[in-house]
Amino acid sequence: MRKILLGIAITSALFTSCSSDDDVNNPINEVEAPLTYKFTRDGNSTVDFNGQTTRIQMAMELRSALKDNTKSAAELQAMFAHLEGESDFSDTNLNASGKNVRSKVAASKDYFAANTTVSNEIKGLMDSWIEQQATTVFANWDVTATAGTAGQLQQAGGGTMRYVDAKGLELDQAVAKTLIGGLMIDQMLNHYLSTSVLDEASNIENNNNGVVDQGKFYTTMEHKWDEGYGYLYGNEVDPSVPVLGADSFLNTYLKQVDSDPDFAGTAAEVYDALKLGRAAIVAKNYEVRDAQVAIIRENISIVPAVRAVHYLQGGKIGMAAEDHAKAFHALSEALGFINSLQFTRQPNTDTPYFTHAEVTAFMDALMDGNGFWDVAPEVLDSMSEAIASKFGFTVEEAAN
Amino acid sequence: MLKKIALFFGLALIVACSSSDDSSKGGATDNFDRSTLLTNLADNIIIPSYQDFAPKLTTLKGSIESFVATPNQSTLDATRKNWLTAYSAWQRLEMYNIGKAEALNQYYYYMNIYPVTVADIETGVSTGSYDLNAPSYHDAQGFPALDYLLYGVATDDAGIISKFSTDANAQGYKDYLMDVINQMDNLTQQVITDWTTIYRDQFVNSSQNTATSSLNKFVNDFIFYYEKGLRANKIGIPAGVFSTTPLPDKVEAYYNQEVSKALSLEALDAVQDVFNGKSFNGTATGPSFKTYLDYLNTNKEGQKLSSLINNQFDLARTEIEGLNSNFSTQITSDNSKMTDAYDALQRAVVYLKVDMVQAFNISVDYVDADGD
Repeated sequence: MRKILLGIAITSALFTSCSSDDDVNNPINEVEAPLTYKFTRDGNSTVDFNGQTTRIQMAMELRSALKDNTKSAAELQAMFAHLEGESDFSDTNLNASGKNVRSKVAASKDYFAANTTVSNEIKGLMDSWIEQQATTVFANWDVTATAGTAGQLQQAGGGTMRYVDAKGLELDQAVAKTLIGGLMIDQMLNHYLSTSVLDEASNIENNNNGVVDQGKFYTTMEHKWDEGYGYLYGNEVDPSVPVLGADSFLNTYLKQVDSDPDFAGTAAEVYDALKLGRAAIVAKNYEVRDAQVAIIRENISIVPAVRAVHYLQGGKIGMAAEDHAKAFHALSEALGFINSLQFTRQPNTDTPYFTHAEVTAFMDALMDGNGFWDVAPEVLDSMSEAIASKFGFTVEEAAN
Repeated sequence: MLKKIALFFGLALIVACSSSDDSSKGGATDNFDRSTLLTNLADNIIIPSYQDFAPKLTTLKGSIESFVATPNQSTLDATRKNWLTAYSAWQRLEMYNIGKAEALNQYYYYMNIYPVTVADIETGVSTGSYDLNAPSYHDAQGFPALDYLLYGVATDDAGIISKFSTDANAQGYKDYLMDVINQMDNLTQQVITDWTTIYRDQFVNSSQNTATSSLNKFVNDFIFYYEKGLRANKIGIPAGVFSTTPLPDKVEAYYNQEVSKALSLEALDAVQDVFNGKSFNGTATGPSFKTYLDYLNTNKEGQKLSSLINNQFDLARTEIEGLNSNFSTQITSDNSKMTDAYDALQRAVVYLKVDMVQAFNISVDYVDADGD
């Protein structure tokens, strides 16, 4: 018995001494793929991401308010940068919350902890979009938009009315689609699923020893993973078995991408990887966990890319048909999704598919001169091509 | 059973050896003599820093006594000058929250918590009822309280002097000012006496690698100071990194309006000199975080980690040097320069808090607060 103990002691000594990085795990910890995202400890659920649900719901209300021309710029801004106790929302629970959307935009540890200047630029651009929605678009609500003048445009055939700024941009779309990357994708891929967060401080040691957070049933690492999960599924009726289409953000656009036969299976890959990765944390198998992170990063990153190309092409078709309203609506979505590309993550790297400078150049090209009013189809095609080829799909696959 | 153990042993070895990354492993397996590092820190850096600071604080105390006895422009100017001299010297010490400094329930809580709560000072002045030993008065004493009393208590110098001479509460202001400097002086004497009598040997001899060993604690204090005292308090918080909007009234020495940059640069120099083991009184360097990292051959991204850290400190210094001497002004005119400086400081955090502590096999004993 003494010998056995000694053997174990030596073994663990070797472990500690030679592997102080995050590869510490036991190869015999097999991970079983769970059927649903349900995890318990001693009969109590260990899954909690109420903060993410709150922020998604705040973003939902902001998105609606951006189309309510009775709102002032200050009211809209207050919904974006909500302060605890202020009556900014219709939902009193949101009003009571100390959380807000703005503080988590471009705020991931991996990308922005040492890039606050860029983070401020990104947030500042959103601030100005939100403000101008009230000061220029709401102000011209009943005016017909022309090049250089904000106002309304109706889609052909008695279609939907669109409200655009002087360059044809629907600012509410730019804001909403930027949030998909700036809030959901950035927090999920570059914060909560990052080793810098999952393995921070004593997280591995505590997770290995089943040390739970004070007053909670989960370990810190489990919770961080769940918070990543929450940015995708937090507004689902039953988030443990997501059906998608539950918000106007990442959740819904993952569904849209998945429903394109060329990208069928994307949603299942994400869900399966999130389940397996979480089970891997329970099993203390960090190799399996990190393999799932790579799968999630790849499949989530493709969402804004496919939609950006899809809408750029939609815009091109609308322009050719001289349906400005329809074209501008598509291009507005495209611009927001393009802005979101700076928050994507190439698996097993620390970098996005497109940098802040690159997406800014794309947006500048779209907004050049009179903006959408005189954007050339060649510009839309070359941009589509650049995005599609970087991600390894074709423009045709995304366009249909 | 033994076979199974042997198998497990073998697996463990494979795992251990396949998991090597680009940073060298330290801690229990290295033979670096931590006591030499601790000795250099104590004898050539920490104690000389205190020995430099304490007389400067005493000089400040003397000039405050003169100012209180005879409040006029000349005594005010002398006090202000000595305040700045002592405040600069303090920047060398704030990170040493160890030994007596820690045992006092954070010496620095009584020396440099800002912004000050002006209402606490003013109420204390007018009622004579305050307790500088109470936690609620941490933000109503120390250098920031002196900053307020010497520069911010009225709009111009004549007004400030009258607060201490003709004002109805003049005696209250005098008492408060004296109580603040006496508190600072008294605590400083306790800390320095402890270092020069018993603590120096305790510090140097505690050279093991446990959570309470000197180097483990010191490394944590060092990184905590870098993250909180320097990066966040001096730059990040006023630049609005942790809030919705910038907070230009939260800069260090806010009422002085001229020295927030100078104090930050002094603090960064202090950090870098400790990292390199540079003597307080001279240019010689000794065993340090830098030499320890080099001893362990710690590399990252194909470069020596110690060089990466020093380069990053240098980049941060360049950014800070480009700022307005008054950070409040800088924040109001172009805050992106402030956040650039913050970003440059932040880039060293990962090197220190992840790579360096990993090499030393030391655990970080604090965690950043997160929103959700």
